[in-house]
Amino acid sequence: MQTIRLYGKSMAMLIRSQLQYPASFLMQTLAQLVMEGGEMLAVILLVQRFDHLNQWTAGNLYFFFGLMAVSFYITECFGRGITGAFPSMVRTGQLDTLLLRPRGVLTQVLCSAVDPRRITCIAVGIVSLVLGSRLSAIRWSFPKILLLLESIFCSFWLILGLFMIEAVLCIYSVKSVELANTLTYGGRSACQYPVDTYPRTLRILFTVVAPFALVMHIPASHILDKPLFAWPAWTAFVTPLAGFVLFGVMYLLFTSAMQHYRSAGN
Amino acid sequence: MNAYYAVFRLRRRLETQYRGAVIGGLICQVFFGLILIALYRALYAGKPQMLPFSHVATYVWLQQAFFRMLLASDAELMDKVRTGGIAYDLCRPMNLYGFYYARILAQKLTGCLLRAAPMLLFAALLPEGWGISLPVSLPALLWALAAWVLGLFCVSALENITMAFTMRTLDPRGMQAMMNLLMMILAGNVLPLTLFPDSWQPVLTALPHAQLLDAPIRIYTGEYALSQAGLILLRQAGWTAALICTGMLFWRRNQRRLVIQGG
Amino acid sequence: MSYIHVEGLCKHFDIRLKREKGSLIRGKKRVQALQDVSFDVEQGELVGYIGPNGAGKSTTVKILSGILTPDEGTVTVGGRVPWKERKAHVRRIGVVFGQRMQLWWDVPIADSFELLKEIWHIPDNAYHKRLAELAEALRLEDLLRTPLRQLSLGQRMRAELCGSLLHSPELLFLDEPTIGLDAVTKLALRDFLLWENREHHTTILLTTHDMEDIAALCSRVMVLGRGQKLYDGQLSELLSRYDTQRILTVRYDRMPVLPELPAPVSAVAENETLRLTCRTADLDMDTLLPLLQQAGTIRELIVQPQNIDHLIAAMYQEMGL
Repeated sequence: MQTIRLYGKSMAMLIRSQLQYPASFLMQTLAQLVMEGGEMLAVILLVQRFDHLNQWTAGNLYFFFGLMAVSFYITECFGRGITGAFPSMVRTGQLDTLLLRPRGVLTQVLCSAVDPRRITCIAVGIVSLVLGSRLSAIRWSFPKILLLLESIFCSFWLILGLFMIEAVLCIYSVKSVELANTLTYGGRSACQYPVDTYPRTLRILFTVVAPFALVMHIPASHILDKPLFAWPAWTAFVTPLAGFVLFGVMYLLFTSAMQHYRSAGN
Repeated sequence: MNAYYAVFRLRRRLETQYRGAVIGGLICQVFFGLILIALYRALYAGKPQMLPFSHVATYVWLQQAFFRMLLASDAELMDKVRTGGIAYDLCRPMNLYGFYYARILAQKLTGCLLRAAPMLLFAALLPEGWGISLPVSLPALLWALAAWVLGLFCVSALENITMAFTMRTLDPRGMQAMMNLLMMILAGNVLPLTLFPDSWQPVLTALPHAQLLDAPIRIYTGEYALSQAGLILLRQAGWTAALICTGMLFWRRNQRRLVIQGG
Repeated sequence: MSYIHVEGLCKHFDIRLKREKGSLIRGKKRVQALQDVSFDVEQGELVGYIGPNGAGKSTTVKILSGILTPDEGTVTVGGRVPWKERKAHVRRIGVVFGQRMQLWWDVPIADSFELLKEIWHIPDNAYHKRLAELAEALRLEDLLRTPLRQLSLGQRMRAELCGSLLHSPELLFLDEPTIGLDAVTKLALRDFLLWENREHHTTILLTTHDMEDIAALCSRVMVLGRGQKLYDGQLSELLSRYDTQRILTVRYDRMPVLPELPAPVSAVAENETLRLTCRTADLDMDTLLPLLQQAGTIRELIVQPQNIDHLIAAMYQEMGL
């Protein structure tokens, strides 16, 4: 409870401080809009040319794209401490300052940054979700809404967990950041389309290692009434929990990396 | 001329130092390439197109291999612009435009060559329908190479303009993000330009961004016939010359401004 | 048992070397940062911790504050082992790094303090009382609504100090607190530290390169070199060992005629001023004074010990650092 209060207060302060530079903030927010708009344009153009992807119609594809955009950029917005700021915190020794306070390190890292510019990306995602829902003529019901919210919530932890790979590597002062990007940004690019697009190896990768399929595609396919697998409907509520599992594993690795940091020094 | 060459050599040495990052980046790029090809394969399976699929795969691999050419990634230079450290460079007794042109060119060239060779080798080893195909003919390859060199000159000129432009804004990050994005889309990295709607093609291919990689790739795959190649190179050269002139104008004006500001 | 008890402290770092040409793996170099360091500090003491760069000062501070885990040795601070009970330990300590800021750049410092209050779970009453007290002592009252970025370096340092002391730590680590400050601010900061120490019986451990800080604040100094403790005791006693030179500055009313001086004394003339340097043992005023008087009419005569920085440099040199 106290942690949530601290997080709320930190966010309020960080956002206030970003609004100190309104022109730059607006410009960057706009750049984000163009960026995500460009990504969506690519999907629209592909759909124009090819009509459909396996059994998925244009509307279905917009829905998948929207789900990924909303989840990914919510993570980049609120998880900024991990997704963007962490390497420089290690480099500049800011991490030491966090160790000098009576709070958990990860809590403080998450409290130390927020990226409200992503709001435009999230907005593009929402537009795409609505568009996809309209075109796919989804019959919304309470469980479906719940499933969508659960999927987004679990995706947040999944994506945060994937970004923590980079953070852990960073603590061990490994510089191959690009490698970690394959799962985060690569996962985003790949899994904005349903997983059955890809050959077996990639399907396994996105189900077992970086379980985007479990957290996003299975629930989404149920919402669209085109289940990916012939599993009972309740399983769609269970599979997204894989996001928490991944986050849990990464949290343990992060903790042991911090132990290493404290014994290896810098 | 020697001074420019020295700058060029220094950059090359710096670039080759970060071997770990290069390998990591390479794997990442290969991964992106595979994902894109898998996606296009699935789309093609649903609705085959006029354009043979091998062209699309080749397009994707060449784009991935020379990805470094497109991105403006000289963080050091950007920092210099932002913090005003560029004032030191302004004191150097050489043509600033040339100085930065050499620097950007070197960075792009080394960035590409280091990554492209292993990447293309990997792509060539992939099975049929996934990997890169051979050029349509030997003359096509030679023309494509020439077009690529011109593309390199063209992109350096383009980036130099962006640089001069960002010097005028206080915080270049937003501007730079926008420019990079425009580059990725219009150069065909996000989606091959060949897959854009047919009605857009005349406009898209006339823009400077299409001269960088799109033009050489289309010569390579044979989509542009050899008889057209000369004309295409002419268009590239035209854009390069125009962009260099514009860039020089921008830099000269900036230099004057900076001198006044510095007092 | 003493408040801070350190015994047999050892710590090494592995530094990764540049990869050799041809080999795949990068080599490692072992650097011994601390070698068998022991000391005790009582509550309420003000201790200076000095040594050349790379001597292991920061490493000690990091271990004492719980950021680093040592290889060997026992450390207790107020009965707790810092790295084993990090959260409980840091609740009672304050750390100020001279070149590292913990306050938020773009918001008024009062807002930063509010957030620190939240982080440290400081009760409302205690917070307001402490803030009022610190703001007065550090003369921050008028700056509380100003964003950090608009403050001068000295003001920023004072704000940092205030932020690090809000939770009323009983032990304070200061790492180069006066670096880059002007003379007035430096003096004010020293006064404040003495006040905090007197008023709240706060134990203060100070690392610095500014010997004036040490001279003004600390009666006890520890000298660290190449990871080992080389001296622990009174500053005056340490200085007296190396205080072997005197500088005489003699100002005449006109250009002096340079006198014949006894061999160990060297002299430099500069316009009306004559500057003499000699070892304390060779300073024989009975012989010197008449000689100096022969050279002209003396307007002013100053006898100075050598600058404290020179003494420390001499000490480091003798200790082979």
